[in-house]
Amino acid sequence: MSDAIIDKLRDILRDSSAEDRDWDSVDGSTTIESLGIDSLSILDLLYDIDQDFGITLEAAEVIDIGTVGEIAALLRKRGA
Amino acid sequence: MARENILRGGIETDPGRASALSRRSAEHFGMLVIESLKSAEMLEDDRWREHVKLEIAPDVMAVLEDPEQALIMASGHFGNWEIAAQLLSRYKPVAGITRTMNNPRVEELIQRRKPRYRFHPIPKYAADPRRFLAVLQDREILALLTDQHAHTGGVPIEFFGHPAATYTTAAMLHLVTRAPLCFAACRRLGPMRFELTSSPLIEHRPSGDKKADVRAILIALNGHLEDAIRQAPDQYIWGHRRWRD
Repeated sequence: MSDAIIDKLRDILRDSSAEDRDWDSVDGSTTIESLGIDSLSILDLLYDIDQDFGITLEAAEVIDIGTVGEIAALLRKRGA
Repeated sequence: MARENILRGGIETDPGRASALSRRSAEHFGMLVIESLKSAEMLEDDRWREHVKLEIAPDVMAVLEDPEQALIMASGHFGNWEIAAQLLSRYKPVAGITRTMNNPRVEELIQRRKPRYRFHPIPKYAADPRRFLAVLQDREILALLTDQHAHTGGVPIEFFGHPAATYTTAAMLHLVTRAPLCFAACRRLGPMRFELTSSPLIEHRPSGDKKADVRAILIALNGHLEDAIRQAPDQYIWGHRRWRD
């Protein structure tokens, strides 16, 4: 079943990452690290989330983010 | 290298004067190390007031005095950034990236000195945006020296008229966390006497054009650094290979 938040995140992550991979297989369990989002590009990712979802995530919320699903859960909690 | 940088930056146009300035810059670095070793005593209790004149912008001071707010404080290798960090840690803890000194004897002296009040060093190898986010989450001051050549992920920003690869971290942290951001510099006025100044807060909200946002912030920061250097060019570490084109 398609998840609109995950779908949107997938697009953002594709833009933030330099990885050449099968992006359709990215789901909630995919780790951010495995997508080539290194420590520097985590800030780019947060900027894009802010712009595309209109939600500014708090520093505390994102420090321990591990998977795409965890970001989606945070966004849902914040009203996405 | 220092002399070439001074000439290239247009600080001096005469090679002889540029050489003299590069020597004074080297002497300044020696002074900086000695001052830093003495800093714990100098800044103890209220004695710091005899040594440091504070010229902090009111909006920055309001952030420093508010325990609920973090602050991103950008600076460069100008004046005595160690004194600045230690003094500011009287307001709230300061975290800053540190690296091992090239000279092992100097490094040994640095390591042997007294602990630096509420300054928390982040070793260069462990400098990571997630660590910086944690500092901001703890409502501390994140001190970043933004004038090193950016090996990866940097953007070219004019520095004394020439593009220099510049780290984007300070700008991106401000954009994504909205944490207040300012530039600060600690200029030596005389033996063991300094003036710690800050810019007003640099406020920039994300516009959707990430590159333009980052660029605008970094141009502002470089502008403040250039202004500080022009006031006392001999207090800048000119030996770093800032321009690599």
